[in-house]
Amino acid sequence: MADIQTYSHDAGWKNTVLRGLLYLILILFAAYYLFPLIVMISTSLKSLDEIREGSLISLPRVVTFDAWNYAWNEACVGVECTGIKIYFWNSVKMAIPAVLISTFLGAINGYALTKWRFKGANIVFALLLFGCFIPFQVVLLPMSQVLGKLGLASSTPGLVLVHVVYGLCFTTLFFRNYYVSIPDELVKAATIDGAGFFTIFWRIILPISTPIIVVSVIWQFTQIWNDFLFGASFASGANAPMTVALNNIVNTTTGVKQYNVDMAAALLTGLPTLLVYVLAGKYFVRGLTAGSVKG
Amino acid sequence: MASLTLDKVRKAFGPVEVLKEINLAIDDGEFLVLVGPSGCGKSTLLNLIAGLETATDGEIRIGDRVINDVHPKDRNIAMVFQSYALYPNMTVRKNITFGLEIRGVSNQERDKAVADVAKLLQIEALLDRKPSQLSGGQRQRVAMGRALVRDPDIFLFDEPLSNLDAKLRVDMRTEIKKLHQRLGSTIVYVTHDQIEAMTLASRIAVMKDGILQQFDTPQNIYERPNNMFVAGFIGSPSMNFIDATLTEEGGKLALTIPRDGNPIVLPLFEAPESYRGYIGKDVVFGIRPEALTHKRTGSDEPGSQYVNFDSKVEVIEPTGADTMTVIEIAGKEIVARVRPDRQPKPGESMTFSADMSQISLFDPDTELRI
Repeated sequence: MADIQTYSHDAGWKNTVLRGLLYLILILFAAYYLFPLIVMISTSLKSLDEIREGSLISLPRVVTFDAWNYAWNEACVGVECTGIKIYFWNSVKMAIPAVLISTFLGAINGYALTKWRFKGANIVFALLLFGCFIPFQVVLLPMSQVLGKLGLASSTPGLVLVHVVYGLCFTTLFFRNYYVSIPDELVKAATIDGAGFFTIFWRIILPISTPIIVVSVIWQFTQIWNDFLFGASFASGANAPMTVALNNIVNTTTGVKQYNVDMAAALLTGLPTLLVYVLAGKYFVRGLTAGSVKG
Repeated sequence: MASLTLDKVRKAFGPVEVLKEINLAIDDGEFLVLVGPSGCGKSTLLNLIAGLETATDGEIRIGDRVINDVHPKDRNIAMVFQSYALYPNMTVRKNITFGLEIRGVSNQERDKAVADVAKLLQIEALLDRKPSQLSGGQRQRVAMGRALVRDPDIFLFDEPLSNLDAKLRVDMRTEIKKLHQRLGSTIVYVTHDQIEAMTLASRIAVMKDGILQQFDTPQNIYERPNNMFVAGFIGSPSMNFIDATLTEEGGKLALTIPRDGNPIVLPLFEAPESYRGYIGKDVVFGIRPEALTHKRTGSDEPGSQYVNFDSKVEVIEPTGADTMTVIEIAGKEIVARVRPDRQPKPGESMTFSADMSQISLFDPDTELRI
């Protein structure tokens, strides 16, 4: 016993040092990751003069939201000086239908693949899974041909279609893995009760899918909102999503580079995904770790 | 309510045959228990009756109606599942009425039906709770309520008690029996628990490896098992099997059990005609623990059904009502059921009585009853 006590006394002292070291490293890393954000926020709140005079890391002497206002209402995207707001709405019009449709289809797919197993269900699932690993760049050309044939080129509905097709693999994977843990007996009981494929889906399966719906929505929203490549390839001009417009704002130079406006526009572009995480983040972690549904 | 007939029913998953020519028929109001070890096909058979799986071959009839190709919802059956399968998003009331709602039963009728069932099962206070707020026993009742409310022709139970703790299981067993007596409904019940099978059934179907081993009343299955599997599966502790030889001395048949220098000879009390062919051959002598007891009064008198023999006691296992006494005969452990006041000490030698009117003989090769 005495030995153990000496040891634990030693360990207590070591523990404190190690713990301190751990916190130090964590704080350093946090600062490292937060630093760009702090610089962005502080720069976006400065006036152009102050940016020119001060250093990059100094905090604003006079806080002004002029740059935010300018980015939202007046910034020039190419030759159009209408601000980023119309592109914000483009992104909303693209992201919301694409998220909802891909999530809904993923749910139906997952339900059919687990609860109504048909011959070849595993192969279908394997192929869908394969879709998760196809890089964006590979599908660009064939996709543009398809969109052209469908008459959806350079339009928001076209972008919605692209994101639904591309997101389907992921949402199906999420829902399939979630539904595997729901007992089959639930579906059998409902079948005997007289319910069919869609009645069971609407009345029983979907109401107990909240955690995985949240996961799917967050995942899809982040992917679709932040996408640049599809947006730049399949929608141009007035139909471009916000990410593409942001790029254009930053690249449009009329004399002086307006760093404060660039930063404000970039923050505006990033805000919606941040908001989704803040609102639904706890469900996200819960949904990803949820193994089973308690009856 | 209706009768149920299974006529040469087969079920195969690809090349794997899980049910081989099952023939069963029960009358209206009977309580059929399908029992067997896991993987014997009993749940598959129940799913065939429910319509959740389709039979590969053969005919299933409820009453006079062939239901092979009838959708589960049109078979007028109700099923209680092992995991209860309550809809987690609905209240108890909704759970019970879901089937009625789908069938388009009016609101008032639904309310009345749920009230009746809730009263019958004493779950009135739980109607507005969600399944997650219920205990195991309460969930069990709700699952039964969901079946009862539909007033089906046949009730199907798929191991409904195996998720409950031991005490609750016994209580619910009694309740199911009461319910059956009260409603007089036709029930098919799947279990792996032979005690449940014995206590509940009006007839038991014992299954193994997809083959129906025996289909009879509980008492007949217990007393006259068709083969060694049924004999060993039904009854606890299970039947003792002892290798013996059937011998004849002076026109009387006897079983001779070899034992170092001192074989046990047990004259048979009854000798059916079927035993004749086995004279001089090896047989398996099956005797239940309760037929093997301490020395009975009157066992020395001529013509008694009891035969006495001596054996050393290896281990005793008191259960309160009886003491299970393990003895060794011909290298096998044999359990005898002894009254506690006659209980021996381990290592002692004691006289046992075998009740020769309650024995079974099996063919050692085919394992079938002789």
